[in-house]
Amino acid sequence: MSLLDLLLLLSLLTTLYLYAFGNHRNAGHLGMVVYAVATGLVIAMAGPLADGTGAVGSTFAPVMLGHVLSWSMDGLGWFFALLTTGAAFFASWYMSGEWNAEQPNKRIQHGTLALNVFCMLLLLSSGDLLSLFIGWEFVSWAAFLMMTQLGSHAARAAFRYMLYALAGAMAVFAAILIVKAQIGSFAFADLRAAVPALSDGLKWLLFGLFGLGFGVKMAIVPFHLWQAPAYSFTPGASSAFLNAVSARMGLFAILLVLGKLIGFATLSDLALPLIPMDAKTLLMWVAAITMVVPTFIALMQTDARMLLTWHGIGQGGYMLLGVLVATPLGTAAGLMHVLNYASYQMALVLAVFAVIHRTGTADLDELGGLIKRMPFTYLALLMGIIGLAGLPPMNGFVSKWMIYKSLLDTQQPLLLIAAFVGTLGTILSVYKLIHNIFLGQLRAEHQKVGEAPGSMLAPMLILAGIGFATGFFPGLALGVVDVAQAALGVELLPHGLGGVYLATGSLNMIWVVGIMIGAIGFGAFVFYVIGNRRYGVHQFDNYAGGHFLSADIRYHFSHEFYPGLARLIGPWYRGSVVNMENGLMIGLKTAGDLWHGAFRIAYTPFYLLVALAIGLWWAGLDGGF
Amino acid sequence: MNDQVPVVGEERPETCRAPDAEERSLWRRVMDQFADHCRSRSLFVLHYCTGCGAVELPPTITSRFDMERVGVSPMVTPRQADLLLITGYLSVKTLKRVILSYEQMQSPKYVLGFGSCTINGGMYWNSYATVKRLDQYIPVDGFIAGCMPRPEAVQQVILDLMRRIDSGQANAWRDYYLDYDTYLGRQAALFGEEWHTPTDVVAEARHYGYFGPGTTGVHTARLKNYTEWALNQIPELLPERGRNEKART
Repeated sequence: MSLLDLLLLLSLLTTLYLYAFGNHRNAGHLGMVVYAVATGLVIAMAGPLADGTGAVGSTFAPVMLGHVLSWSMDGLGWFFALLTTGAAFFASWYMSGEWNAEQPNKRIQHGTLALNVFCMLLLLSSGDLLSLFIGWEFVSWAAFLMMTQLGSHAARAAFRYMLYALAGAMAVFAAILIVKAQIGSFAFADLRAAVPALSDGLKWLLFGLFGLGFGVKMAIVPFHLWQAPAYSFTPGASSAFLNAVSARMGLFAILLVLGKLIGFATLSDLALPLIPMDAKTLLMWVAAITMVVPTFIALMQTDARMLLTWHGIGQGGYMLLGVLVATPLGTAAGLMHVLNYASYQMALVLAVFAVIHRTGTADLDELGGLIKRMPFTYLALLMGIIGLAGLPPMNGFVSKWMIYKSLLDTQQPLLLIAAFVGTLGTILSVYKLIHNIFLGQLRAEHQKVGEAPGSMLAPMLILAGIGFATGFFPGLALGVVDVAQAALGVELLPHGLGGVYLATGSLNMIWVVGIMIGAIGFGAFVFYVIGNRRYGVHQFDNYAGGHFLSADIRYHFSHEFYPGLARLIGPWYRGSVVNMENGLMIGLKTAGDLWHGAFRIAYTPFYLLVALAIGLWWAGLDGGF
Repeated sequence: MNDQVPVVGEERPETCRAPDAEERSLWRRVMDQFADHCRSRSLFVLHYCTGCGAVELPPTITSRFDMERVGVSPMVTPRQADLLLITGYLSVKTLKRVILSYEQMQSPKYVLGFGSCTINGGMYWNSYATVKRLDQYIPVDGFIAGCMPRPEAVQQVILDLMRRIDSGQANAWRDYYLDYDTYLGRQAALFGEEWHTPTDVVAEARHYGYFGPGTTGVHTARLKNYTEWALNQIPELLPERGRNEKART
């Protein structure tokens, strides 16, 4: 029994157990233990994977229709598996205390988390295209189950997701069948060997189908509409888990199939007619649009959860862009951004749900001034947004710097500008997030709000701390990234504990953060130690053009936070993609009605007869008779 | 919680005395003179303009007379402002806002009254709703006679104020702390007995070291009710105040 067997078995048993007994008050603690053990198992697997060629196999190999399904985990899958089990650990921690006690559906929350972890591990350790597809479907349905747990709005969003996901899955399945028809095998190695011999048309077809299928999961533009509502209205830790890990499964599949099997180099040989662009550049521009458009949609949100999940989509664009640059620096940047993003996004979502837990709302127009009431939640959120905005000293800065640098090095100024524009939108909107929740006027109804309980604070502060630690010492994260990069067959990036060392310019975060802390410390010393005596005043002793302020007067400017910018981007924001989706829906519905009508009116036996005849004919073709 | 919040007007055993200029050390005197010199060259003017005189300010500040060349510049908030200009007549209602804004300014702070209206009521001398003498309600550093004064006159009085700040003579703001009870009494006579502002001037007087015998008295004793009222309404309304007091003592 290999380590992978053990991991999958543990995960499966946890799922079954938590589905059965998830209502027990210690379910969250049990989950923590299990995911900690699972993380330990994943780390224990690192040894044979480090050189990039090794893989941990599974002895579980069922035969299906004559094909042997195989599961084995290589460095790439390992990287994402570490992310999955780690995120599940923190999610379970969050759900272990007060949160757990107050949820009506804890069995479903714990059960779906465990199920998602199991399905993701299954996907990440897939050994051939068929098991990849099975894992892919499992992950889609498990995520659907997680999203629908509260019903109502979330369920509608989840249903929308399911429609996208099914379309994507069909595309992936079609691509896999085409591969099977062409090369007669589901094995990764066979596809990899056969790719150079395939015709350009077929390569385009595979690129399109796989790109569509995996892109839907990543919510790249124009398939981005489902993700934000679906993730936002999932409760608490489940939402954080989905945000941190779930969409990254799409990136994993893109890296595996397009990056490793078909190869980004092959994609750059596929030229588009008429315009000077190849398939890889096309995908890079899609990633760039995914960086910019969802980020500015996030800017316009009035719900804190929606703001964060829209950013999640935008950050996915950064990762995709990074790995598509495909230089050692770019690949490392994209992969590192996956880790970094998981740490700060999870802290952010958990912090926002802690605010919801205490105040009952995530509406950015109805909060404010909570810094005095929830200082530690504020700290977690502050560190999170610094990471999300890509500013030092947090880890988000390192990976974004590496992405910018890789675009500079490969001489792609327009994509670089797109990355900057995306970052600008991020900075603007995260300021809106922290300002509207924590700064400004404390509302009278929130005067008696308390700090979030320890079981919810600890995971978010630790995640924010991880973000700071890997920002101070990026070498810690780059070491993990190396394993995945080796598995992808990309040359390793030279790095040390403090950052990356390149001939064209290095980044040493120990210096950057050290100088920053020194400067801030000097400022604090001047103001607090050698400065004059301070005299604090209370909140209502404030200037409002001479008005006397009291608790019933709102002077916290939060509604329509960026009116000028909103006017500027309004026409874009109102959404041609939404119209397109509506058009597609209407078209699909009409086609469905037509077919349904034809089916219902008459001739049902005739259709059955036709279907049977076609089936027999096909079976006959296959040599069955 | 409540025992940490100082109650306005409460008698305290330690009363601060205004420090005598002769008592200060050489170092403090040098530093104060340096600070005064710098302060006189960078006056930020609060944009709270009343009456007709406000229209004289655009030419005063902008290119024709250009007071910015001597360091006078508009500022939108009282906390960062040094100079409050009362540019004309004040109705009783406006005076409340002026007092609120004045109390929100950080000391040292200066006030200039524009035109006859601030001196004796001017053409509104017989109005029931207009304040006749500004310096009864807040300390004023200088007046400009005229209806309205020309920008040259405004320039002149600001330059004069700068000279007095530089030489350490523009100290009217201290009177507000030292005689707060008297000022509050006059304000209350105009506005009614329930008059109070959110600013704890008595605590500020202690903070700046100008807590004198006239700071508290019969009028400030009344403020106690409002502090307690605020505390009862929202228990943790004034957390910073308590913390600051504690740190200071």
